[in-house]
Amino acid sequence: MLLFRSEQHVNRWCAQWNRPRGGTLSLHQGWQLAIEWYGDRLSPSWLPKTVPEAQAALAKIGLVEEFWQLA
Amino acid sequence: MTFDDKLRQFIYAFFIREQRAPRVAEMPAALSCSSREVKAGLKRLAQSHAFVLQENGELWRAAPFSAVPTAFPVEIGKLQWWSNCIWDALGIPAMLGKDARISASCGCCNYEMILNVKQGKVTGAKGVIHIAVPARQWYHDIVFT
Repeated sequence: MLLFRSEQHVNRWCAQWNRPRGGTLSLHQGWQLAIEWYGDRLSPSWLPKTVPEAQAALAKIGLVEEFWQLA
Repeated sequence: MTFDDKLRQFIYAFFIREQRAPRVAEMPAALSCSSREVKAGLKRLAQSHAFVLQENGELWRAAPFSAVPTAFPVEIGKLQWWSNCIWDALGIPAMLGKDARISASCGCCNYEMILNVKQGKVTGAKGVIHIAVPARQWYHDIVFT
């Protein structure tokens, strides 16, 4: 997961590496995702997210398209 | 608390305190166990993908921390850690609940992009995050993802 200056730079990177365009999110969404994913990581009772839990975390920040489906 | 929970907590506490991954050889004494138990525990932790081991058995990643230098250094005060991607870079202040400075750069042209996390908000460079791999395939090759 990389950071780019703009959508244009994402397109340029995809062309350079001959990769199809993936999914994009704003920095605000990235920060929200980081909180969802890592906010409880130091809890003694932490467990890896189940697929439904991880899917719910993605959906919570608006990542609901097919690209973001885990299963 | 299980042995794996203790091992996981030891690794995170060590990363936070020392700004580096603990070496496998440093773990048995700290956990009052054998090297064999440590290695078996690390393999179990690695099944979660949050922990990834190098070929030599040492830690490569204890998400969001990277055990090796990367293009995503994260500073909190005078402390610094590495992370494997922009998601993990943001994950360090999210996990620690601290303000941070992330010295990232554009994945396309390496243009410097400094991000600041301050009081629960991200400021600084304007940009967009791109993930090349569909979610269904994230764990097929976690290093590339």
